[in-house]
Amino acid sequence: MESTRALRADLFDPASLAALGRIEIIARWIVDGFMTGLHRSPRKGFSVEFAEYRPYLPGDDLRYIDWKIAARSDRWVVRQYEEETNLRASIVLDVSRSMDWSGAALRTAGASAGEAAARLTKLAYAERLAAALALLLLRQRDAVGLVRFDERIRTAVAPRARTGQWRRIVSSLEEPGAGRASSAGIALQQAARLINRRGMVVLISDLLMEMDEVESAMRGLRAVGHDVTVLHVMDPAERDLPSSGEAVFVDPESELTVPASVADVRVAYRNTVDEVIGEWRSMLGSLGIAYEVIGTDAPFGVPLRRAFAARQQLP
Amino acid sequence: MTFLSPFYLLLAGAIAVPLLIHLMRRRMGARVEFPAARYLARAEREHSRTLRIRNLLLMLLRVLAILAVALAAARPVARWVGSGHAPTAVALVIDNSLSSSVVENGRPLLDQFKSMAQGLLAQATPADRLWLVTIDGSVRGGSAAVLRDEIDRLQPIDGAGDPVLALSRAASIIQSAGLDARQVALLTDGQRTEWQHAPQLSNTQVLVYAPSTKPPVNRAVIAAEARPVRWTPRGAIAARFLATDSTTYRITLAGQTLSRGTAAPNEEVVVHTAPAERGWVDGTVELEPDELPADNVRHFAAWIGAAPGVAVAPGAGDFAKNAVDVLRGSETVANGNDISIITADDLAGLPALITAPADPVRLGAANRALERAGIPWRFGERRSGAAAVHGAGVDDVTVTMRYDLVAQAGAAAETLAVVGRDAWIVAGPRFVLVGSPLTPDASDFPVRAAFVPWLGGVLTERLVGEPGQALDTTPGVRLPRPRWADAIETADGQRTPLGETLDAPTRAGTYFLTRGDRRVGALVVNAPPEESALDRYTADELRARLRAERTVSAPNAAAWASLAFRAAARRPLVGPALALALLLIVIEALVIGARARRAA
Repeated sequence: MESTRALRADLFDPASLAALGRIEIIARWIVDGFMTGLHRSPRKGFSVEFAEYRPYLPGDDLRYIDWKIAARSDRWVVRQYEEETNLRASIVLDVSRSMDWSGAALRTAGASAGEAAARLTKLAYAERLAAALALLLLRQRDAVGLVRFDERIRTAVAPRARTGQWRRIVSSLEEPGAGRASSAGIALQQAARLINRRGMVVLISDLLMEMDEVESAMRGLRAVGHDVTVLHVMDPAERDLPSSGEAVFVDPESELTVPASVADVRVAYRNTVDEVIGEWRSMLGSLGIAYEVIGTDAPFGVPLRRAFAARQQLP
Repeated sequence: MTFLSPFYLLLAGAIAVPLLIHLMRRRMGARVEFPAARYLARAEREHSRTLRIRNLLLMLLRVLAILAVALAAARPVARWVGSGHAPTAVALVIDNSLSSSVVENGRPLLDQFKSMAQGLLAQATPADRLWLVTIDGSVRGGSAAVLRDEIDRLQPIDGAGDPVLALSRAASIIQSAGLDARQVALLTDGQRTEWQHAPQLSNTQVLVYAPSTKPPVNRAVIAAEARPVRWTPRGAIAARFLATDSTTYRITLAGQTLSRGTAAPNEEVVVHTAPAERGWVDGTVELEPDELPADNVRHFAAWIGAAPGVAVAPGAGDFAKNAVDVLRGSETVANGNDISIITADDLAGLPALITAPADPVRLGAANRALERAGIPWRFGERRSGAAAVHGAGVDDVTVTMRYDLVAQAGAAAETLAVVGRDAWIVAGPRFVLVGSPLTPDASDFPVRAAFVPWLGGVLTERLVGEPGQALDTTPGVRLPRPRWADAIETADGQRTPLGETLDAPTRAGTYFLTRGDRRVGALVVNAPPEESALDRYTADELRARLRAERTVSAPNAAAWASLAFRAAARRPLVGPALALALLLIVIEALVIGARARRAA
């Protein structure tokens, strides 16, 4: 069992895994590992949920004739399966400047320099997660689209289930972003426009934006029946301040400067972050939106499982 | 509060460091990119009050710790708190006068003083400056160990000492010691006669102990003298005693018992004798020892020689001749030519009692004879008319005719009697010169009853033997050097050359004065009679007499040691200041530690 887990890329350390190759390759490994955890074989079992039997009609695929029943009752019936998919999913990825940051420059309490230096930025982590999620959904024959945004929409790939969609998504992920602000409302509205019927929206962001704006957009998505999942990406250094002394902390987007002694404010900061997470969780929960905080040091399998679970709850 | 090293108060300026850190900390530190700065700002906003109070507390703790260290470095001393005592200049004044040797409760009072002084020195620290001052004004300085040895060797003097001098010196040396805490610690029996006068001790604190016990009844010899000092060879010893009842005495002369007897209170005992000794001899009058043995002996000295032969010249008059006859009858003088009583115009040699010639015509011859004899006086203008005479033994004498006595250059004679401002009788080496004839028409002196004793005194005291006399004094007194002596002889026969002054020894006794190899006089040292009166001042009375800035009296010997340095009452605060600094640092570390634990 341990050897099986060790080979699963979705359980690898994200930074170590990312160092092995490009997004496309890494995403495949992740999804392969993830599917290994779900089924004995990743190539079997997709959309093979048995629904009912119906009499054989000419033109039906002979692979679906139940030969055991034919042999027993001399009656030809065909196994009827549910429709493979009709889900249209849109992944909304925050590529603002705040996402292009990792706590590698700061040493978190109790972390060695090597551990801190090997950490992915929030954006790099989110991009690999988005690629893996897109691949996973596409393998379920879902239509997947991508919206990248900062203070404006950077990329908008309409949801498709056809071959080559994933490669387009991966290409989009490699485009530059990192604007000075995050305008989630516009991005979410754009994502809603890309999905012309009830579907799924996955927002991957550090949520360093105005909550009211996000809430308004979310209400709009929910109003038209979309299922929304929010993956709140946080660097561990954003949860626990590093153990450095006096410093002037600067927000790269708003240029807000906060001089502080880490020792003085560490507890208060941690409490504040917990409060903020609670506020997000409360607000999104009230809208029926799944919300999960993802640390950039967590294996990709963890957020993937969250997103996949949300997908599985959909028809 | 005062500071022994106030310069170190400048260290308090270091409080600027935590103040600057506190004020500038917001502008210190590196700029760090941190996207979640909004959360940080919110955290600070919501917890700013707690953070501000904690930072203020830390700053205050650090400032106070620095102030406490600076305070300790400046070596503060104060009156109210602290441990031990501040470096103190202590002058320990021990009354070792004769009266302190009185035995009370089987122990000399001075021994009790010495024990108490040792107790004080036991509390001294190396930072203290210490002196021992005895009641004669002697000062010894040094460490506590040195002074302990000095105290062990301390003996009572045979006199009253000089308490004013001792206290003045004690106050002076502690004020020049350079220490803020100063203390004069006085141990005395509080004898009334000794403390009739007290010094002005401004800016001085005095701790005084005087026993509250009643002194024992004392018997003492308060007077002993030879009458006259020169015996020819007959003389007498007169003595008086302090006693409440009859007391037994003994008189010795030259180490031999001369007389024993019993004297009634306040009775003067006079013992006549004509001993065989010759020259200067010493003697004592003694009582049986009592609780104060030091005043049970009193010394005297006498010169003993054969009666001088006196020749009276015919011109000297009948009154002089008759007086000498009387003196011969009492064996005060004898027939002979050792001394002549003669008018100046007939003067042939010395020693002589010289009178003015009765006939003014002989005045020139008289002055020439004086010049030949080397006498630096001449007869001057003749004066008539009644005038009163003043002088020892000649008061109430009236002169009707006299000559002015004119001093010549280098005259160093002693004036024995005057008329108005003019000398009438002068004396010098081996001569006595009278400005009138010894006749009733010149003065009524020859017919006065005082004439014969005066003449006997002149013949036996001034004109007989070597020049010299017995000098009565008290221990330690400084006297002018007697010109007729060049050395002083101690009891063991050692001779010490005299300087410009003569300091009386501190021990009672008879010390002979010598010139060459011969004894020419005596220095008789005795305690002042007042020292035998042991009545004491109470502690409050004594405190009132000591006009010091502050006087604390120890109620008993046990309280002495505890009050010894507390009277100065300035204790060092170095220890408490350092303890405070340490406490503040510990509190600061605890506050930081608590913050770090919460942060972790």
